[in-house]
Amino acid sequence: MELRKYLFRRLIEITIIFFVIMTILFLLFRLAPGDPVSRMVDPSMTPEDARHLISQLGLDQPLYQQYIIYLRNFFSGDFGVSFHYGTSVMGIIWDRLPNTAILFTTSIILSAFVGIFLGKIASWHKDKKIDTWLTLGALICHTLFLPWLALIMIWFFAYKIGWFPLNGILSPEIWIQTDACFFSKLIDVLHHLILPLATLFLIHFGSYLLIMRSSMLDTLKEDYITTARAKGLKEKIIRNHHAAPNAALPVVTSIALSLAFSINGGALTETVFSWPGIGRELVFAVSNNDYPLAQASFLLIAAVVLLSNFLVDILYAYLDPRIRY
Amino acid sequence: MVTNTSDSMAGALDMLPKKRQKISAFNEKWLIFKENFIGRAGLILLSLFALMALLSFIPPLIDPMYHPMTGVDPKISCSVGPSIHHWLGTDFIGRDILSQLLAGAKIAFMVGISSAFISIVLGTSIGMIAGYFGRYIDAILMRLADIIMVMPTLLVVLIFSSLFGQLNIWTIVLVIALFRWPGVSRVIRAQTLTLKQRPFIEAAKLAGASPIRIILRHIMPNVLPLSLLYMTFRVSSAIIIEAALAFLGFGDPSSVSWGMMLQWVWKTGHMFQAPYWLLPPGICISLITLSFYMVGRAMDEVLDPRLRKEDD
Amino acid sequence: MKNFLKIKHSTLIAITISIVFCLSCKGENETDILKIGLAEEPRTLNVWLASDANSKKILSQIYQPLYMSEPATQKLIPWLAKEHPVYNPETISYTVTLRKAKWSDGTDLTSKDVVFTANIIKDFRVPLFASKWDFVKKVEIIDKQTVRFYLTKPMAIFLTRTLTGPVVQKKEWEKIVQIAKKKEKPLKTLLNHKIEKPVGSGPFVLKEWRKGSYLYLKKNTYFFGEGIIISGFKLGPFLDAIIFKIFGTSDVAILALKKGTIDMFWKGIQPGYLADLQQNSDIRIFFSEKSALYFMGFNLRKPPFNDINLRRAAAAVIDRNFIVSRILQNYGTKLFSIVPLENKFWCCQDVDHYCESHPRDKRILLAYKTLRNAGYTWKISPVDLDGNIVEGKGIRTPNGKPMERFTILTPPADYDPHRAMSGMIIQEWFRDLGIPAYSRPMSFGSLLQTVKTKHNFEAFILGYGKLSLDPDYVRIFFHSKNDKPRGWNMSGYRNPCFDRLADQSKTTIDPNQRKKLLFKMQKMISRDLPYIPLYTPKLIEAVRKGKFTGWVEMQNGIGNIWSFCMLKPDHHTKKSF
Repeated sequence: MELRKYLFRRLIEITIIFFVIMTILFLLFRLAPGDPVSRMVDPSMTPEDARHLISQLGLDQPLYQQYIIYLRNFFSGDFGVSFHYGTSVMGIIWDRLPNTAILFTTSIILSAFVGIFLGKIASWHKDKKIDTWLTLGALICHTLFLPWLALIMIWFFAYKIGWFPLNGILSPEIWIQTDACFFSKLIDVLHHLILPLATLFLIHFGSYLLIMRSSMLDTLKEDYITTARAKGLKEKIIRNHHAAPNAALPVVTSIALSLAFSINGGALTETVFSWPGIGRELVFAVSNNDYPLAQASFLLIAAVVLLSNFLVDILYAYLDPRIRY
Repeated sequence: MVTNTSDSMAGALDMLPKKRQKISAFNEKWLIFKENFIGRAGLILLSLFALMALLSFIPPLIDPMYHPMTGVDPKISCSVGPSIHHWLGTDFIGRDILSQLLAGAKIAFMVGISSAFISIVLGTSIGMIAGYFGRYIDAILMRLADIIMVMPTLLVVLIFSSLFGQLNIWTIVLVIALFRWPGVSRVIRAQTLTLKQRPFIEAAKLAGASPIRIILRHIMPNVLPLSLLYMTFRVSSAIIIEAALAFLGFGDPSSVSWGMMLQWVWKTGHMFQAPYWLLPPGICISLITLSFYMVGRAMDEVLDPRLRKEDD
Repeated sequence: MKNFLKIKHSTLIAITISIVFCLSCKGENETDILKIGLAEEPRTLNVWLASDANSKKILSQIYQPLYMSEPATQKLIPWLAKEHPVYNPETISYTVTLRKAKWSDGTDLTSKDVVFTANIIKDFRVPLFASKWDFVKKVEIIDKQTVRFYLTKPMAIFLTRTLTGPVVQKKEWEKIVQIAKKKEKPLKTLLNHKIEKPVGSGPFVLKEWRKGSYLYLKKNTYFFGEGIIISGFKLGPFLDAIIFKIFGTSDVAILALKKGTIDMFWKGIQPGYLADLQQNSDIRIFFSEKSALYFMGFNLRKPPFNDINLRRAAAAVIDRNFIVSRILQNYGTKLFSIVPLENKFWCCQDVDHYCESHPRDKRILLAYKTLRNAGYTWKISPVDLDGNIVEGKGIRTPNGKPMERFTILTPPADYDPHRAMSGMIIQEWFRDLGIPAYSRPMSFGSLLQTVKTKHNFEAFILGYGKLSLDPDYVRIFFHSKNDKPRGWNMSGYRNPCFDRLADQSKTTIDPNQRKKLLFKMQKMISRDLPYIPLYTPKLIEAVRKGKFTGWVEMQNGIGNIWSFCMLKPDHHTKKSF
């Protein structure tokens, strides 16, 4: 009962936070100078035409009215129309979301698995050569400057060796064929996925490795491990079955807590690889003064981060009996 | 990116109640730190970068053509490789890459340290206040931290710089700082909460010390090492965010930072033709973050006695 | 862990298979598909909203105008129209006869469609087109192939600007227009209407647009031009299809070009790429002239640049030779008039060149004299008693006050390195005179906002990459009527004399007479200097040799409708490989 109450409270908190962010975003975008029309640079467009367009876009209404419209639209699932593309924001986001989801989830899962696996090895060989090298390697990979790494990856693997396509998510040559089967399309996308995935993986796995290593070292000192040892269980079994699952928990938390930061990296990767995802769209929307699109993509990101934090709360509440609220 | 380890460490530290530990003599810690290979390597790297930043004042004095932003070699008007006059070559209009690289070190330190300092001061004081006063002050401050924590800093700064025109370097520093304190304040708050239970705080309270005095005199000295540790992580994350921002074209155009240099290579089409121009700034950004990170990790091990060797 | 390793193993295998599969896939289709790289995703295929270069590139394959310019002479020639329009001075009307043409859905293109297009623009006041149709009173159907346009008064830009706009199909847009007109915000509804498959009359028709990845255009079998000879070209298209691939950055697109993934990159490239590309035997590079204007503008509404003498001094110290040879690396021309030199008919070459070929100290001397005579004083004069040039300091304006520092706004280096660098260099030249100038790059959006709407600036450097051939912009840029927020007279130039000439030029139809007026206007601007024209960059474009030949070079590059109608697969070279 306690537990349910706690989760319920968290849920309410998260909802409130979400609405605060929504309002901040709204104010930020409306109070800022600069409007989408000023970027249209055709000299034959007269000031009168520009004002006409602004009034049609609803940008000349008082702030509170715009806010009310904004809230009302939000509840009916309408995020307005992108200034830049002139089509519904929801449509654009649904279009881009799967691409981001593929890249993001695969990279997180892959780097978490590898990070946990290598972190375990490092902790097991603490202060030996392998540990130092793994730690150092993880640190170096983790601190590489992402866009720079991405560009070098493109140059080397896609251009010099030519193993992978340069950028994008698919090759039109395959997709325009009406008889192209699903399998070849899938393979094509996977082929495009490898480089951006590898870039994100290199950046991410290091941090998971480091967390896993220190968490494992902590766990190995816990009483129940000592008990297991006293029982005469094999070290390997203790490590893999007793210590590792518990030690992996902080990694999972860290994935959720650091999601906001991984998204930064995701946006950079998408931009460099022209991966048509939400992050790249947000960067574009920002530079095009496309408020509705930037606003909606940012909200989406915030919502995902909030939800994942909530999921971690639930996970913890169930998994760790020591934590009670 | 970089910051996620530090933040998850915040989480980890949150969950594991820290052993009570008195601030022992500085010397002892220093000795442990010195023995740590990673910490030593980090410190050496850092001092190299500091040296670079100091050296950056020299080239413009030798010849105005070595001014990183405005100086152009009168004989060279396109990007050429390393030569006697330009050890790392020149950029697309004949500016010296080496002097830009040195100036970049200055900017990196400036951005990194000042923004980390502001966010640490903010985070520590907010954490202490929330932890000490508790109740609704705590609730409000921590919800505020929650709000800020879910926003990806890079994207927020991006939005700011697009909305309010080009941001200058100090505004960028400030915005980064304002969005990077919650992680710190969480840890400091947890630390403060455990400290609050300790007898000497109770004693101070009974003696009639004001809350401000208790926070400043009794709590702050105990949480400062932790703040300092977080500062090293914040420095590297601030440097990375500034570089990424500049790389995407939203940096301060009148400053010569490494991110800016990368952007110039990228946008002028020399990316895959001028390795002497592409490689140095990228390597520098990666190495400086790495060195702050290494120092941070070494400090972490010093501060967390459970990971010390003699414990094994 | 074993499971885990197994998973890794199987993914590795899958990856290997996929690579093999993909490599084998690529060799299959050998139809004549031209692959073009685009720098960014097109904004929209709604022709009324499309204000960006990339959408226009796609739409120019689909929607066709009545008249367009010929590659060699840039003269206006009939395209959808059959012949030149017939002017009736009494009724101020033009009669246009159409060619026999069909829409891509097979229906006839008739005068109804032309009238319908005109009415959409006028009824909705479509921002991008409205000003070109303001003076059109009425459009009338004479018969199926003939339209007559009635004007309120004779208008010079009618032929060159109004009749070169796209024609849309009535059948496609009729319903949308009806719905939009009933809405509270008709224009918004029209602009935001999503067009999936635009029906056009051009050589190509859209087959598929996969957002974020590519656009696939197929040959339009109903294209009116196929097989006929216009302006000496026997038109195709000879291609089966065009794929437009979207790249985020120029670098990757250039790599793709070198690798052969695309046949052309449809965007001007930076001179930095040249050295490398020129060595590549598979790449052909085209240099074309651009109808472009890059200039420094001043705010005439406030000090210090409300003083013409300071502007003249500025014109004297600005060394265009330096800008063109260093910043543009010689891929550009010096510009002296507002109308670029490349616009041969309209450009007035007889404007003041402000010591074009003087060395630096002579320039400074001249600028110094101009300022001194106007009453400026210095703490340390830039020219000492012996006539030597020294670094000037502490300039005071004629009223005795020290000149306040001011900024020169430029776009940031990533948006356009040339303009940002020019700003920096000009700042140094100003400082030689002791003038406290500071160049400041500013993001493009806020720069426009500042100079166009807020007017709180001193000087700026901007440019137009694609000016129309018709020089009506000279009027738009400097007419006092446009000196208001969002107006195009950013400098705040007010000169009744100029206004009179400008108004006259607007309604003068005879080109030679209009030319005289425009020459006078250009001279006036060159004397009063609200803008100092700086340079016109050359357009550098790269294509791949071998697969296709027949690019048509013209002003503003090889990416023009003529090229796409004339490109032929180069079967000869293919066999020899």
